[in-house]
Amino acid sequence: MKAGEPEEFIVDGRRLDGRRMDELRPLKIEAGVLKRADGSAYVEWGGNKVLAACYGPKEIHPRHEANPKRAVLRTYYSMAPFSVYERKRPGPDRRSMEISKVTRQALESVVFTHLYPMTAIDVFIEILQAQAGTRCAGITAASVALADAGIPMRDLVPACAAGKVGGHIVLDLFDVEDNYGEADLPVAIVPRTGEICLMQMDGNLTQEEFEQAFELAIKGCMQVYEKQKEALRKAYEKRSEE
Amino acid sequence: MSARRFVVPGEEVASGRVKLGEGVYREGDRVYAAVLGLLDTSRGVVRVVSLAGRYYPKVGDFVIGTVTGTIYETAWSVDISSPYTAILNSSDFHREVDPFRVPLMRVMRPGTAIYAYVREVAPTKGVYLTMKQRGCRILKGGRLVEISPAKVPRVIGRKRSMLGMLTRETGCRILVGQNGIIWVSCRSTGMEDLVERAVRKIEAEAHTSGLTDRIKEMIVRERERV
Repeated sequence: MKAGEPEEFIVDGRRLDGRRMDELRPLKIEAGVLKRADGSAYVEWGGNKVLAACYGPKEIHPRHEANPKRAVLRTYYSMAPFSVYERKRPGPDRRSMEISKVTRQALESVVFTHLYPMTAIDVFIEILQAQAGTRCAGITAASVALADAGIPMRDLVPACAAGKVGGHIVLDLFDVEDNYGEADLPVAIVPRTGEICLMQMDGNLTQEEFEQAFELAIKGCMQVYEKQKEALRKAYEKRSEE
Repeated sequence: MSARRFVVPGEEVASGRVKLGEGVYREGDRVYAAVLGLLDTSRGVVRVVSLAGRYYPKVGDFVIGTVTGTIYETAWSVDISSPYTAILNSSDFHREVDPFRVPLMRVMRPGTAIYAYVREVAPTKGVYLTMKQRGCRILKGGRLVEISPAKVPRVIGRKRSMLGMLTRETGCRILVGQNGIIWVSCRSTGMEDLVERAVRKIEAEAHTSGLTDRIKEMIVRERERV
C-alpha cells in the first residue's frame, strides 16, 4: 500500500467524501464571466475550478493553417502552476497537449465549422484548481463558452467520468479515488443523439464493469447537461434584468 | 418586445415541414436551435435570433470599416471587424480614381473610415465592398463606436424609432453599420460622449422593453450639461 492510500474507499455505503456511488460532486456553472473574450464560462466541480474562454470565428494566423472548407478549432488546455499540491511547471507538456487534442475532437463533433471557412475558433481552458476530472470539467466549460460566444453548434457537450474504486463502480471520481482507484473512464457525449465524442480509460475493467461504468457516466453527463443549459439561461436572465 | 422563447444550442424548436431561417438546423424530421438566442416563428419561418457572435458579411449590408495598412496597387483592404477582411477595388470607389496616376494611399490612407456596401461575398470568402451606392462615403471627423453586431437592430429600432430619436434629440449625424460599428459626429465632443454612452446603454439593455423612452429621458436630462 502506497502512502496516502486509504484502507477502504467505501464505508457504510458512502464514499470518502460522503457521496453515494452514483452521486456527482457539487457542480456550479456560470456563463459569460469574462468581459474581453467573445464567450466564457466558469465551472466549479467539487474541488475543480476551471475557466474557459473562446474567441472567434476570427481571421486565422498563421495563414497556412486556414482550411478553405471549414473553420479550424484550436483548443488550449492549461493547468495553473498553483492548481495542484506540488507546483506544476507552467507551459504545455505531454499531458496537456493530449487533453487539448481530445477536447478539440470532442468539440469538433458539434461545432458547425463548415459555416466559417478560412477562420479560426480558439478555446482556452485554464485549470485554476484541480481535484481529478479536469478534462471533463474543461470540456463542460468549453462548450458553454462556445455557446456563449454565439457559435453555431449541434448541441452542448457535457462530460463526466465514472470509474472503479475498492471494487465498486462509482461516478465522478475525486482525487483520492482517482489516484488510488482501479479505473477511470471519462466520457463526453452529444446528449440529443447519444453520440460519444470522448471516451478514454485509465486502468482495467471487466466487460460487465465497463458497461456499468459507461452507463453511469452517461447518467452523469445528463446531469451536467442540465446544469449547462441552466447556466446559459441564468446568464441571459441576469443580462435582461440589469 | 414580444415574449420570444430563449433557446440554447440543441434545443428542439419545431418539427415537420417548416421554412428554416438563420440559427437553426434540421435533422431528420425535427428542427433544432444551433445558437444561443431568441426563437422567432413569425411569418412562417423558424429562426433563432442570436444574442452574440461576430459579424458575418452578407451581400446587401451597409457596413462601416477602416482602411488597413495593406493598400494594394488597385484596391484597399478594409477592416470590417469580421472574420474576413474586405476588399474595396479602386473601381468601386464612389468617385473616379486612376490608381496608376494617383497612388491609392493618397486617396484614402490607413485608418480612414468609410461607409460602404457589401457587393459580393465569394465562395472563397473574399468580401468585396463598393461605395457606388446611395449614402456611401468617407467618414470625416466624428468617432467610431463598436458594439456587438447582434445588438445592431436594437440601436436602429423598429422602423428606425431608436435611431430617429437619437438623431432628433442630439442633432448629431449617426450612421449604423450592420457590422456593429457606429459613426457619430456631433458639434461638440461632449455630445459625442453622450451619444456613445447612450449607444453603450442600448447595447447593455438590449433585451429590455421601453428602452427608447428611457434613452430619450437620459439624453434630455444630460444634454443640458454638455
